[in-house]
Amino acid sequence: MSKSIKRGILGISMVLPSFLVLVLIVVIPIISSLRESLKNENGGYDLSNYAYLFTDKLMRSNIIFTLEITIVSSILVLLISYSLAVYMRFNNGFAVRWIRRTYMIPIFIPSVIATYGLIQLLGNHGWMARILYHLGTDSFPRIIFDMKGIILANLWFNIPFTTMLLGSALSGVPDAVIESAKDVGAGRLRIFFRLILPLTFKTLLVALTFVFMGVIGSFTAPFLIGPNAPQMLGVSMEQIFSVFQDRQLAAATAFFTFLLCSFVGYFYIRSMIKEESVRSS
Amino acid sequence: MLNKKSAFAFVTSFVLAASLLSGCGSSKDSGTSSAAEGTDTSSKQVEFSFYYSGSQNVDDLWKNLIPMFEEKNPDIKVKAVYVPSGTGAQPTYDRILAAKQSGKGSGDIDLFEDGLGVVTKGQKDDLWDNLSTDHIPNLNNVDQNTLNDVSNLAIPYRSSAVVLAYNSETVKDVPKTLDDVYEWIRSHPERFAYNDPSTGGAGSSFVTTSIYNFLPEDAIHNTDPSIESQWDQGFSLLKDLGKYMYGKGIYPKKNQGTLDLLTSGEVDMIPAWSDMVLDQLDKGQLPETTKITQITPGFNGGPTYLMVPKLSEKKDAVYKFLDFVLSPEAQNVVVDKMHGFPGIKLTNMSQEVQDSFKGASEGFRSFNIGDLDKDINKRWQSEVAAQ
Repeated sequence: MSKSIKRGILGISMVLPSFLVLVLIVVIPIISSLRESLKNENGGYDLSNYAYLFTDKLMRSNIIFTLEITIVSSILVLLISYSLAVYMRFNNGFAVRWIRRTYMIPIFIPSVIATYGLIQLLGNHGWMARILYHLGTDSFPRIIFDMKGIILANLWFNIPFTTMLLGSALSGVPDAVIESAKDVGAGRLRIFFRLILPLTFKTLLVALTFVFMGVIGSFTAPFLIGPNAPQMLGVSMEQIFSVFQDRQLAAATAFFTFLLCSFVGYFYIRSMIKEESVRSS
Repeated sequence: MLNKKSAFAFVTSFVLAASLLSGCGSSKDSGTSSAAEGTDTSSKQVEFSFYYSGSQNVDDLWKNLIPMFEEKNPDIKVKAVYVPSGTGAQPTYDRILAAKQSGKGSGDIDLFEDGLGVVTKGQKDDLWDNLSTDHIPNLNNVDQNTLNDVSNLAIPYRSSAVVLAYNSETVKDVPKTLDDVYEWIRSHPERFAYNDPSTGGAGSSFVTTSIYNFLPEDAIHNTDPSIESQWDQGFSLLKDLGKYMYGKGIYPKKNQGTLDLLTSGEVDMIPAWSDMVLDQLDKGQLPETTKITQITPGFNGGPTYLMVPKLSEKKDAVYKFLDFVLSPEAQNVVVDKMHGFPGIKLTNMSQEVQDSFKGASEGFRSFNIGDLDKDINKRWQSEVAAQ
């Protein structure tokens, strides 16, 4: 056996375990839920469940609602996290020290507790409403049982990790590059858009993928503080599956969510592959 | 596919159960195994497993009742398996069904507790044993009508009903009929709330009662889907009430969701389970001004049932246990510990107990509409929640 074949076998045998795990817990469930979702009431196969997904008024509004929340949350999370990370990277002092010490706290608070905390804080008779009432404001906007509440909860859950991710990417930007740009007279904005942003763009994409997938599949916060209708897809899926016990429709919803996620995943993987090929050529 | 799925559920629950069992240190073997070491003297000890689910109060109840029973019957050991509500009741049922389909007896489950829905479902799948007074003398204490409702396949060992809970400081003209309630809701906008019917029985009962109020009296025992065409009037009423509800149409999740609103004073009246209200009043979680009342026609009330899987091999021991559960002594614990209504006729209980349930334990109705509640929830979601 030649050396290269041996090396090839070794390579395959090292990849095999993770490949098998992937097949067992990702690929097979996806295929089986695709099959389940194509079943109609008479036991045959057709697209009736998907047709229902896009023609039923309620389901359609659920999908739009989910996309709205996901897109708004992703943009807000990325904006806030990126500015936080940039601020922490290029500044020093009291404020930065305290942000650095505290921004990870939300990660360690269980989501159910955090959600109930938000209800206590922002609910109709919550602390915020009471404080504002004493300051003379009578009307308090509806945050809990509304889209705003879900978005706020998503910010709480996603900002720490995203900031951490972006922070580490930013610390990879060498000071020397920035200083030399400054030396040749580049302005602050120019440095940001021509150097920092391109150098961290890939991590930004990774962060976007994480936030997008985390939000679109979220359940606890939307279940507890979302409105009764429209619902986010996760909540709706749970209801269809365990209350209406319509497994096929639940599978169709799940598969559709998977498609949405893989759409984002596609861009992420494409940019990764591009990077690799640039490097190897 | 379905089979595969339930087989998967079965395997998962089996693995779970196995790990649970090994945790308890008792032998996994069914049959007449001696349960723990050192019980060789009572050589013929029978151990049967009892699966129940529910909120914490249900667990507390059985942790009181089982030792009482075991003390009296040293030859029987009850292996109690508590499945927290919401997560596990469906798999437990699937497990019994899967065991039967694959010819494995009762799947090591000898007694199972659940609501009416599961009783009817098991009736269709022919899972439950027929119970009679020959084996369980105390069955005579139970109202025969309730037993007829489930064709003697299950024992209604306790019950609770949905009642109207209200803040007696702000609600002076307490509604007596369902129409009074609607009237009150309309004249006090945003002071009434019921929970999302798919997340808890209290809201579900309000919805069902409202819909079936327009139907003939005996419709509440009808499980035939053809009746669904008569629901329109009820749904349009609920839809119309939406704008008078808390937050102009917010339906909190879970039975506790509305109770929280009542506690914080955001609403003045809610439909709620009697046992939850009485228990939380007792613990001081609800304000003392909270009172309960039943209306006519009554909200859904209903027993919680105990079922014996037909293929269980330890029926004799289970029958003895069931007989004990239906004794006035055990029923007193039900009343004391969880503020439930006794499962046996009130006349069998002490005068004190009879008095304490006056008003609350009467007037409710047992709805038995089978799988139709799924359709109600579905329609409610698309017509009332999403209006």
